[in-house]
Parts: sequence; C-alpha cells; structure tokens
Amino acid sequence: MALLRPIASRVVALVPVVLGITVLVFALNAIALGDPARAAMGQRADPETLERLRREYALDRPLPVQYATWLGRLARGDLGESFREQRPVGEVIRERLPATARLALAATLISVVLGVGIGALAAVRAGSALDHLLMGVAVLGISTPVFWLGMMLALVFAVTLGWLPVSGYGDGALRHLVLPAVTLGALHTGTVARMTRSSLLEVVRQDFMATARAKGLSEWTVLGKHALRNALVPVVTVIGIGLADLLVGAPLTETVFAWPGVGRLLVAAVGQRDLPVVMGAVLVFALVYVLGNLLVDLAYLVIDPRMRDAARA
Amino acid sequence: MTRAAPAAALLLVLLVAALSGAAVAARPGGTLRMVFVSDPPTLDPAHATDLTSSSIIHQVFDALLELDEKLVPAPALAERWSVSPDHRVYTFHLRRGAKFHNGREVRAADVKYSFERAARGKRPWVFDKLVGAREFIKGGASEIAGVRVVDDGTVELRLERPFAPFLHLMAYDAASIVPREETDKRGAGFASHPVGTGAFRFVSWRRDDQVVLERFAEHFRGPAHLERVVFRVIPAEGTRFNEYVAGQLDVGDIPMGRCRAVQADAKLKGDVAIWPTLGTSALRFNVERAPFTDARVRRAIAHAIDPSIIVDRLLEGCVKAAQGIVPPVLAGWTATAKRRPLDRERARGLLAEAGFPGGRGLGPIAYHFNTSDANQRIAEALQAQLKEIGVTLELRRLDWAAHIKVVDDGSAGFFRQGWIADYPDPENFLTVLFHSRNVGAAGNTSRYRNPAVDRLLDEADTMAIGAARMKRYEEAEQMILDDAVWVSLYFYASRALIKPHVKGLERSPQSTAPEFLAPLRKVWLER
Repeated sequence: MALLRPIASRVVALVPVVLGITVLVFALNAIALGDPARAAMGQRADPETLERLRREYALDRPLPVQYATWLGRLARGDLGESFREQRPVGEVIRERLPATARLALAATLISVVLGVGIGALAAVRAGSALDHLLMGVAVLGISTPVFWLGMMLALVFAVTLGWLPVSGYGDGALRHLVLPAVTLGALHTGTVARMTRSSLLEVVRQDFMATARAKGLSEWTVLGKHALRNALVPVVTVIGIGLADLLVGAPLTETVFAWPGVGRLLVAAVGQRDLPVVMGAVLVFALVYVLGNLLVDLAYLVIDPRMRDAARA
Repeated sequence: MTRAAPAAALLLVLLVAALSGAAVAARPGGTLRMVFVSDPPTLDPAHATDLTSSSIIHQVFDALLELDEKLVPAPALAERWSVSPDHRVYTFHLRRGAKFHNGREVRAADVKYSFERAARGKRPWVFDKLVGAREFIKGGASEIAGVRVVDDGTVELRLERPFAPFLHLMAYDAASIVPREETDKRGAGFASHPVGTGAFRFVSWRRDDQVVLERFAEHFRGPAHLERVVFRVIPAEGTRFNEYVAGQLDVGDIPMGRCRAVQADAKLKGDVAIWPTLGTSALRFNVERAPFTDARVRRAIAHAIDPSIIVDRLLEGCVKAAQGIVPPVLAGWTATAKRRPLDRERARGLLAEAGFPGGRGLGPIAYHFNTSDANQRIAEALQAQLKEIGVTLELRRLDWAAHIKVVDDGSAGFFRQGWIADYPDPENFLTVLFHSRNVGAAGNTSRYRNPAVDRLLDEADTMAIGAARMKRYEEAEQMILDDAVWVSLYFYASRALIKPHVKGLERSPQSTAPEFLAPLRKVWLER
C-alpha cells in the first residue's frame, strides 16, 4: 500500500506528458505537406469527390477544432476512424498490437538475458581477451543498422540454411519470431552488456564484496547473489531507456520481416496522412514508453531496499 | 461393328486428347502464393483507388464485362449486350444462374444498386457518363436515371453522349456487382469481408500480413483450378526477393537494380518475365508557372533530356524508351507521335531565344519527384543532363502525399508524374491528362489549355471505335508533345519472377505486375 502513492503520483504526471506528445504530433501533421483526402484518391481525383471526402474526414474544420474533437473522443475512449481503412482506429491498432507486443517482449528478453550474461562474463574476465571480444561484439551490436542486420540474418538462416522463415507472422509459431526478435534485440543487447560489465566492476570493488568472500561464499554466489543484484539498478535504467530503442527499431524490424505490427502501421499511416491512425499509434507508443519507465521506477523499489525505504518515507 | 471398333475409337479419342493438349491440361488444386508491397486499404470496389485493392477485387467480384487477353471487352456477368445505333443506349443481358458467394442469384437490380453505390464512392468518374449520374453523385437525385432495370435478367444503360470506351468501363473493377443484403448487413465492414460472384471467395485478411482467397465452386464459369490464393504483404524489396529465392513465393518482383543480374543468374533467368504494360513514365511542366509559361523553355528542356541513358544505364534496359504519350502496346495504336529529339544545340538556341542564354537569368529550377530509389537516380541523371545546357536543377524529393499535393495545387513547376491506364483506350491518357476540363487533380496537372487539342479530344471521345477516331487522338498527341508540356521518358513494363510450375498466368498489358488484375481463375500449378 505504501507504494501506491508514488505510483499514483507518477501516473498523474504522465497525463501532461502524453497530452503534450499528442499536441506535438497533431501540429507536425498539420505542418507537413499533403492532404489525406487526396492521398486516398489514387492517381486521379475529381474536385467534388475530394471536397466530399474532406468533409467526411472533418478536414474542413479549423485545426484547433479538429484537435479538440479528437481529444473529446479520446476522453470517451474513442480514437476516431482511420481515413485509409475507414474503420475505428482502436480496432486497427488492436489488430496489430499483439504482434508488436510479442516482438518487443521477445527482443527485451533477448537483450536482457544476452546483455546481462555477456556483461557478467566480461566483468568476471575483465581485461582478458574474452572481455575484449565480448565488448567488441557488444559495440558491433549497438552500431549495426537494424535493416542491414535483419537482411543478413534472413539471408543466412532463412535463404541459405533454410532453418527459419524469411519473414511474416505465419501461424504465430515461435520460429517466425526468432529472426525479428534477435534483430531488434541485438540493437539493445550491446548497451545492456556494456552497462552490466561496468556496473559489476564497480560493485565488486566495494567493501561488502570482500566481506562476502571472507565469509567463504563461492565466487559465483558472490557474483550472482551479491554483486549482480547491486549492479542491476543502472542496468534496469538502461533497459527502461532501451524501450525507446525498441520502439524506434520496431518499424524497421517489422518492415524487414513483414511483421504485421503497430510500427509498420505508423509508417504507412504517416505516408497516407492518416492522422487518426498516426495519433492513435503515437499515443500507444508514448504510453508504452512512459509506462515502461514507470515499471523501471517500480523495479528500483523491488531491487534496492534503500529506495523502498525512501519511497515509504 | 466388330469388337475391335469401340476399342479403336477409344484409342483414337485418347490419342486426339493427348495430342490436343493433355500435356498442358490444367491440374486442379494447390495454393498460389503471390505478394503485395503494401496492404490493400479496402476490398470494397466502391472505395478502392489503388492497384493492390483492385487486384483482390478482380478475383472476388465480377463486373458485367471483363477484358480478355487482348484487352477486348468480353462477357462476364453479362453474357451478351447490344448497343443502339446512336451509341447511347447499352442493353446488357445477364447470365442466368450466376451466383454471389452467399448463394443468391445475380439480378439486374443488383447492377443498378452496385452502380449507384459505387458512384458515390471514390471513383465516380466511372459512372458519370450515364444520364443523371452527375446529379445523383452530387446528391441532387435519388437514383441514376440512366440505369434502368428492364427485367430480372436485363439492364439498360443510357449515356448522356456517346463514349467509345464505355464497354471498358463496364469491365472496370469499380463497376463490380455487389449483393445489397451483404453491404447492408456489414456496412463499412464490407470492405473487410467482401462478398462477390468472383472465381475466388474471400477467406481471411490479416492486416499487413496476408489475404487468403479460396475457389468458389459455384462460379458461373465452373470452379477455378487453384484451390487457394495467398497474397502476402511484404514491404521490403529485399525480403520479397529472399522469399522468392527461398521458394516461399510463386511469383515475385525483380528488385531495383537487379534486372540484368537476375537475367544472368542461372537459377533465376528461366523465371524472368518482362512485358510491356499500359503506362508511361514522364516529366511534366506546369504551364501556368514561370518560366514554363514560355514554350521555348519547355522545349529547350525536352531537347536536352536523353531518355536512353535513363533506360539503358539506370533501368538496365528492362523498359523501353518512350517517344509518345500513349504506349504502343495499346491495341490499334500506331504510335506515330514523337517527342522532341535529343538536340542540345537546339536546346541552347531555344533558351537564348527565350532570354536565358546559357541558362543565365533562369535561376535554379526546382524538380519535384516522389521518394523512390529509381526516381532519385533519374533525378540525378536529369540534373547532369540539364547542366549541359546551363540549367541548374534543384531536386525536391517528397513522399507521395506531399508530392501529389504540390503537383495538384500547381506549386510545382517541373515534376515527375507518369500515368498508368485505368482502361485501355487513348482517351484515358489524352483526354484525362490534357483536356482543359480536367485541369488539376482530375488529371491535367500540366494545366494545359489548348482549344485545338480539346476539340480533337472531344470529337474522338464520342466517335465510334475505328481508325478515324485514333487519327484524332494521334494528332492531339503530337500537338501536346510539340508544345512540350509532357516529356516522355519510358514505357512501363511489368518485371516479374514467375516459378516455372505456375501455368496460365496472363501477361496482359493491363497488368502492371502479375499480382495485379491477371485473372487467376486461369492459373494452375504443375507439380
């Protein structure tokens, strides 16, 4: 119960952030060249039909009125209707959200497991050739473009070896998820690995670690139970920030692997000037991002008893 | 008759059957796997405006007519038709027993309902030749007076004035016949769950992933050979190519810049299919915007551009350089018109005559194009070519929505905008793109107004199909090219990879890619 207050205050603080994001996206869309009605008409468009579509899309109203209408609908849980698909935006996003959620979760899992594992191993063998090799791989992971990595992985594991599908969601089987999740996960694995290594190296130099060893605990217990837990706070921060990387990387990964997620939807909607979908998708991404950071804050409380006490106080 | 006679007759029948095509007899069954670059926005014929949507609509729905392989209107839901002597009244007799996928028989009232529904959709121009259609589209009438249900099996269509390509419009996917009870029941959801009469029935659509169709056993032509068709949606060109190479697609496209490479690849060269289609890549000038108000400036630029470099070096010779506006692949088209030839001396002279010797005083000219690798490379080639006559091009790359906005509203003076025919008739190129009544988004983005051209086009549009009509279009085409409001670059071609086991896939000029518009009911798989 003591944790509810800090959680509630953080949730309340999210509201202006999310609203600010929606104002920004709406304004950017208004500035951008292009007319959703014209974009929906193909290569020829007669003026009367264009006018009718603009009326149907409520584009003939002043911009503040358009935004206020959108906000009013949002308050009632209605994200409006897609210009392109002529269906409720909620439905359009709901169809794609599970695919993106699966991809983001799998990528996060990969980056955490691999990143923490590689970082811990590098810390244990600090200064060795293995350490240099692992950190080299980590830097490579951070600096390799998602698009290129995805194409290369597909070429090797799908086209040449035939072990995995090239692309697509398929029947939802895990084998379809492997390549996109590894591609997206690789983006962040390096960051997590580097942070884990440096954080662990800092912790192992502290006095309580000497005490643990003096008590006769094995090296793996010392590292796994005492050092890693203390080293995790900055790592969790990186994982939280990494959510932004995943969201940025999702549209690219989804495009390379023809993954039917919200990222691709957003890219297509921007191209078509499908404002209700753009607003809806950005809102979802913004919520995921801020909620992800909220979870990180909560994770601090779980990991670090000192922070829990501070929150209670 | 001896006992040997029936056996000999049977043997003869079998022999004849074998010689006459048993070796190429279609085999039923199997799934054809094709691919789209993007998800279709809708599967409702009234609301589609893009080729991706149309390609599904073509399989799920039928119209009164269809275009055969030579692009000649042929019977579909209408088994026959007659035309009045003044070419204003078309009477269509519906095929008896043709059924919607929900089992109900098609009636003439469905035609009237479908046309009126679609006329208030996104392609009203398909119907606006009918008497009373314009009033209906604007909301001033409760029905299209020119569509009359004579009886359950007959519908009569009356035109305001003769329009030679009218039968082509009746084969267009916007004129597909839909069942009222299904559109009423599903409302906007009809776009996601289409019900037609086509050779394939809609099964499922996972957005941004795949559309699945299956054969409609009760189709009026009998069941299609294929059991299923799966259209995957794969936006990345490299991924589509990888899927094709991995054997996960039966039909794919040739990636940009790999046309020669696939033709040289031992494993792929047998799969390469390239055929000319009804489209032209071109540059256009807005003749209302300085300096392009001066025909000499437009002509100078036209004379300075060498499409052969673009065709040979950038597009690897996989398309043909264009002389005229209307592609020569159009049946009955003699393609006599010629663009201004490459002549940089003449170009320099024209610039000087216009008051811009050596390009001085002209300033940088903005060239607008929509984002794509090919367009970027072409823009850079144009920049280099025009530099030779002293004209500096500033490249303005925009996404499609922004590009079409600056083109439509007239703020772009020099821009890339080609054309893909909606239906195979010169009217769809010349009248739509150059008649003064279509200035702006309706097609004439050059904002060209030439009364002599308008007169020729007006005459040709209402004439009966034949040589005299074509002659008028050809005259108009040459006048347009002489005025240099449009600079033809190349004629589009469909560039595809088709697995050898895919048989019967039509390579019609109407089909800008195999996944578009080819009647899949004719396709079968040999394996």
